Amino acid sequence: MTLAWIVLLPFIGALLPGLMIRAGRDACALTTGGVSLLALILLLTQAPAVFAGEVVQAKWIWLPALGLNVTFFVDGLGFFFAALILAIGLLIITYARYYLSKDDPMGQFYCYLLLFQGAMVGIVLSDNVLLLLVFWELTSLSSFLLIGYWKHLPEGRQGARMALAVTGMGGLSMIAGMLILGDIVGSYDLTVILQNRDLIQSSPGYLPALLLILGGCFTKSAQFPFHFWLPHAMAAPTPVSAYLHSATMVKAGIFLMARMWPVLAGTDAWFYIVATTGLTTMVIAAWIALFKDDLKGLLAHSTVSHLGLVTMLFGLGTPMAAVAGVFHILNHATFKCALFMTAGIVDHEAGTRDARRLGGLAALMPITATIATVAALSMAGLPLLNGFLSKEMMLEEAAHTAWAGNTWIFPALATLGALFSVAYSFRYVFHVFFGPQRDDYPHHPHDPPAGMYLPPAFLTVLVVLIGLLPALIAQPLVEVFAGAVVGGPLPEFHLAIWHGLTPALGMSALAVAGGAFLLWRHAAANRIRLSVPRPEAKVMFEATVEGCAALSHAVIDGLHNGSLRRYLAFFVTASIVVGGVAFMSGAHEAGLRPLTPAPVIPILGWLLLVGACAAIIFFHRNRLLTLIIVGVIGLVVSIAFIYLSAPDLALTQISVEVVTVILLLLALNFLPKETPRESAPLRRARDAVLAGVSGLGVGGLIYLVMTRDFTSISEYHLAQSKPGGGGTNVVNVILVDFRGFDTFGEIIVLGIAALAIFALLDGALHGPAAKSLSSWMPDQERARDRHPLMMVVATRVMLPLSLIVGVYIFLRGHNEPGGGFIAGLVVAIAFLMQYMASGFGWAERRMKIDYHAMIAWGVIIAGLTGAGAWLAGRPFLTSDFGYVKLPFLDKFEVATAIGFDLGVFLTVVGSVMLALANLSRLARRTEAPISDKPMDYRPVPEAPYKAEDAGTAGAAAREHG
Amino acid sequence: MEFLVASGVGAMTAAGVYLLLRARTFPVIVGLALLSYAVNLFLFATGRLVVDRPPVISPDALGYTDPLPQALVLTAIVISFGMTALIVVLALRAYLEAGSDAVDTAEGERPGSGNGGAP
Amino acid sequence: MNHWIVVPIVLPALMAPFIVLAMRHDLLLQRVFSAVATVALLAVTLGLLGEAAGGPPLLYKLGNWIAPFGIVLVLDRLSALMILLTAILAVVVLVYAISSGWDARGRHFHALFQFQLMGISGAFLTGDVFNLFVFFEVLLIASYGLMLHGGGMARMKAGVQYVAVNLGGSTLFLFAVGTIYGITGTLNMADLAVKVPLVPEGDQALLRVGALLLLVVFSVKAALVPIHFWLPGTYANAPAPVAALFAIMTKVGAYAIIRVYTLAFGAEAGPDAWLAADWLLPAALVTLVVGLVGVLGAKALTRLVCFSVIGSMGTLLIAVAIFTPEATTAALFYLVHSTFAGAALFLIADLVTERRGSAGDRLVAAPRFAQSGLLAALFFLAAIGMAGMPPLTGFLGKLMVLDSARASDSMVTIWTVILVTSLLAMVGFARAGSLIFWKSSAIHGTEAGGTVIRPALPIAAAGAMLAGMVALTVFAGPVTEYLQATAAGLYDPVDYIHAVLGPEALAQR
Repeated sequence: MTLAWIVLLPFIGALLPGLMIRAGRDACALTTGGVSLLALILLLTQAPAVFAGEVVQAKWIWLPALGLNVTFFVDGLGFFFAALILAIGLLIITYARYYLSKDDPMGQFYCYLLLFQGAMVGIVLSDNVLLLLVFWELTSLSSFLLIGYWKHLPEGRQGARMALAVTGMGGLSMIAGMLILGDIVGSYDLTVILQNRDLIQSSPGYLPALLLILGGCFTKSAQFPFHFWLPHAMAAPTPVSAYLHSATMVKAGIFLMARMWPVLAGTDAWFYIVATTGLTTMVIAAWIALFKDDLKGLLAHSTVSHLGLVTMLFGLGTPMAAVAGVFHILNHATFKCALFMTAGIVDHEAGTRDARRLGGLAALMPITATIATVAALSMAGLPLLNGFLSKEMMLEEAAHTAWAGNTWIFPALATLGALFSVAYSFRYVFHVFFGPQRDDYPHHPHDPPAGMYLPPAFLTVLVVLIGLLPALIAQPLVEVFAGAVVGGPLPEFHLAIWHGLTPALGMSALAVAGGAFLLWRHAAANRIRLSVPRPEAKVMFEATVEGCAALSHAVIDGLHNGSLRRYLAFFVTASIVVGGVAFMSGAHEAGLRPLTPAPVIPILGWLLLVGACAAIIFFHRNRLLTLIIVGVIGLVVSIAFIYLSAPDLALTQISVEVVTVILLLLALNFLPKETPRESAPLRRARDAVLAGVSGLGVGGLIYLVMTRDFTSISEYHLAQSKPGGGGTNVVNVILVDFRGFDTFGEIIVLGIAALAIFALLDGALHGPAAKSLSSWMPDQERARDRHPLMMVVATRVMLPLSLIVGVYIFLRGHNEPGGGFIAGLVVAIAFLMQYMASGFGWAERRMKIDYHAMIAWGVIIAGLTGAGAWLAGRPFLTSDFGYVKLPFLDKFEVATAIGFDLGVFLTVVGSVMLALANLSRLARRTEAPISDKPMDYRPVPEAPYKAEDAGTAGAAAREHG
Repeated sequence: MEFLVASGVGAMTAAGVYLLLRARTFPVIVGLALLSYAVNLFLFATGRLVVDRPPVISPDALGYTDPLPQALVLTAIVISFGMTALIVVLALRAYLEAGSDAVDTAEGERPGSGNGGAP
Repeated sequence: MNHWIVVPIVLPALMAPFIVLAMRHDLLLQRVFSAVATVALLAVTLGLLGEAAGGPPLLYKLGNWIAPFGIVLVLDRLSALMILLTAILAVVVLVYAISSGWDARGRHFHALFQFQLMGISGAFLTGDVFNLFVFFEVLLIASYGLMLHGGGMARMKAGVQYVAVNLGGSTLFLFAVGTIYGITGTLNMADLAVKVPLVPEGDQALLRVGALLLLVVFSVKAALVPIHFWLPGTYANAPAPVAALFAIMTKVGAYAIIRVYTLAFGAEAGPDAWLAADWLLPAALVTLVVGLVGVLGAKALTRLVCFSVIGSMGTLLIAVAIFTPEATTAALFYLVHSTFAGAALFLIADLVTERRGSAGDRLVAAPRFAQSGLLAALFFLAAIGMAGMPPLTGFLGKLMVLDSARASDSMVTIWTVILVTSLLAMVGFARAGSLIFWKSSAIHGTEAGGTVIRPALPIAAAGAMLAGMVALTVFAGPVTEYLQATAAGLYDPVDYIHAVLGPEALAQR
């Protein structure tokens, strides 16, 4: 439980700074510090158990399906790192309180810092590798926020993005690695994994897992060639750099290598990958650091170099090297963190951290100078300081390491790295604090407030103490920590200042002398450096990212270019390919169903149909002609329905036909009457091919289907229609009863269509559409008499007739072809006739029907009829029927379904009318005010009407728009 | 007969697809209408072809054609009618707004601001 | 028979006309009733989930006709989950639409919204292929209405494309259903599961054509490459709350694929077993790549979100295409996650857009805007979720997908594609975020729309979506248990078939 709290506290605490900042910066800093302190204390309560060599665990089930559980454990290693993270975090928090300026949002800063702290502690205490991954990526995210803390600085933003991209990439590769590892072992629990060295190393999955996991570690710990992100993360405020890059984030990779050491280390692959990478990083980074004028840049590269050193030690795979590695982690954390803080102080007080503009600060800021000097000398590895001890051990290990049979290259390079490290450490001291005083410091330098120098001072004291009394202070710690790494018995070792005249001593003497010489000849060395090509990683990285982004943009917008023709072409092609391949992939035999004979009439109809289809392709640019041809096609189809014993279909098809054509005509009233020829011949050819193939495909498909026998569920419908559904017209019974639910959905589709159309047209009366409407000029000469006498008379006589017909069709529907839908269309057409013949205004005033309400009632009636069955405890849409005798008409079988059919009827009429009435309302908007008398005759000229109408409509548009 | 129907469906589909791939709203709409005719006939034909055997129960009927596809087609016709009506009006509105009835847009260039609305 | 099963369809289907009838001219009343109905829907779906979790699938025989002759609704764990998800999303979206005033920018928003819910619920509940078509049409035409809500040229032109493509899809749907009926003689899904194995050898080719054309139809809805083209233009131009609601629409396609191709073309389907897998996997992989490349390449925030949605559909369908219970569990988990993430991102994008004034949602540096800190935090969380970074659901979902991909022959490909695209997502979202929220603080200009008082509710709605993701993260364990049971049911559909057709059908099988 305590363990979980150690991890959770920082996360929960992250909420506080944001609030406490209202109580002032001190309160904010104190709460934040309090949180870390509490976590640290909780951790220390675990110390006795840990030092007794126990492993404390805590477990909660989270996602068992995945084997991802919230399990923590603390052993020596975890304890060591957690303590490091929390303790140094505490110092950083103190330091940052004085470092941050008034206008930096401190609440945010501490919030991010605690999030990061929590994530780090999570990494080092996780027992479940998947959970570890979670925290691992969380450090990437929170460091992204920390590095980008100064949002206004482009370097900050770029540095943050770079860090996220690189470490995030590593995290992703690690996900794969961990999944493989878990697969090998059969568990994601570290405690289990660590028991299975042989199983893992013998498995074929070992190498991929190793590579992928190391990918994560190397990116996180900025190992060559992934080292480039770290220096640029220095754009962050110094406390962040100090925290992330001395003690924590970059150590995460190291930690994982240490954690996995018992199971992954010891193979050749491990040695050659890890040790080589470490050594290379150590040397290269040290060389670069030597020439960094920006102090933080120098420290950053030296960090990379030291991480390389530790990596190299773990890479050697020997227990003793592991001990040295652990010890150096401890030492590096102390002196490097102190150095970052002093760099921050110099920057803060002198106003610059450019080594070329500094020098001679020792007299001006003695305290800072002392701290910096001690820490730097420790980094250089001079005796009596802790850096010396671990460096000696490192050189000792390197001294007798053969690389691919070669015995001298490894020690030589190790010494070289140490030499560079001495050189830049000296430079940090001499070029900043010693030498002549200058008079051109941006600020007047002086020692900072105690709050700022106490944290580094404290660390420096540790540096000295460990350096002087290693056996007393460090030995017991290192034994426990390293023991956890090795996961077995430790070799006998003594941390001491004097080991006698070992080769290591010689190597480090050489390093010190050489380093001093190199610094003396710094200018000359710099010339050499400038003479060799230096790839600027940041530029390359940015170029890559921007390049990828630009490329993706080009590709994506090139692909999604807004061309519907392309989109549909893809769609059609996909359907053709899928259909074709599907057909090829299955067994096929021709059907045995005897063909139906084809007399002359159908053949004529067929000729007409095919001819019309051909014609429409050739004449489709003439839109009116197109409409006529469409009408012909629809007619042929309905006749075909009649011939093939589908009277209901024929009736429906024909009436829908009429309404559709009217609708298209009304629309065409506004649209251009011609379609321009736009497509290039090639495109037309492509379209023709697509069209031809889909035609053949569909035709062939239906032919093959029609020519084979099958048994259908519709036998049941035929049998049950009368006894079960109470109607002899099976199609209608299916529509209102067997599959009434389809019809329910269908009328709702109609209703929605009408509502959407209304919304569209209503919107068209405002805004830009209205403007173009009012300025719209009919592109064709209008007939003089708007409402021809013959038509008016005819339609008015027909109206009652057609209404009766409608009712009749409606009532007989259940038994004979007909039904609510067809009836609805007939009635709607009758009404439309009135509109067309006698004009909108006239009809409007005489037919006071609220079509919205009509639609609504239709759906509601249909719905309630269906729901009525609930009262009888039967399911939705269950029908019942009996017989009634209507005067003058024959006996009707009335099913409750008729209520449903009534709903259909109303919805149909309402929808059609709402749509078309509003369309003509739109048309009316464009025209002169109509004298609503029927049979009116519009005198020429119409110009004055137009002008004034345009004016009013324009005004209307303005007040709406 | 089967061949006539099949080839008829094929012809309408071909014409429909060709018009569907045109650059203006009107032909696209007509194309969709043709496709719906085609698919209605197709769906109907999946019940196989039978001459004068309407699915109206009567004692002296010699047999019935498959009523189910007919019911399905009825539903389909109604739905496609609603759809056609909608897209016609939509095309009209788009034409009034944009002053052009071209179907292609400059998608990438002028990304939708998400709330470019009239009133 | 449990009448509650049909309520998620009937309730909105009656509420919508009632709104049109009684309160067409009173927006306030519309809002009240629409909200009440939606909350009621949420309550009902919650209850139904409880029912479904309890045991075998429940049948609802419409018109009291026995399957396969009448239409049936089937409530199993999957359909219950989907309608609940719909209801949750609907409540949040409605809050946003009302509080941001989107619903006032045109006519009939609430009626169309209710119809939309009816269509979606119907599609999830029905057990009949043709009835599925009908509900597809209902939800589509309602979505046309909603997508066009508010007008504007760009929206209208995008709308034409959206409608045209989907009308094509509907036509293809009928071709497919017709073919399937012409071979099997049935429309009921469970009955298909029984009849498909009995289809004679010689009819296999035609059956496969029908089945795979149906896959194409569903893929249009699921925005699978290369028939995803309609999505960016549509979602980028739709009103933000509608785009957020559409997060469930792509899932309708995914649902249909899962349902049909595990039930009717699953293990028992003889030569047609796992018919969809060979087509789905490669397409889904490409979809994932296209989506995330789009995220990296997008020059506008809304468009970026659109492509991230396409990418998430890719991941989801990869998991579906593996066709094992484990993979489907992962797929369903990812489905819920991506619905929340997508919706949240659309809402946040809208909040940002309307605050940035002239800059709109274009990814260019613009003066800092009101509440940018708060919105930055929301965007950060949503982006983490969508990009699949821990600790949110995206990461868990991705892990589950990767883990289940072990069962596939193309495991290496799947892992590579998913992991590499995750990097693209990370970079893409980081670029967009730092440009909009960080770089803005470097630009000294007047705070765009700073003076306007902003309602808090829309932000709360966006936050609620994120809260949903957090809750899903915390309760990932129990949720996954439910999903495992769901997947188990899908891969052993005996109970389903038994519930629909009774024991004798099983005997036939």
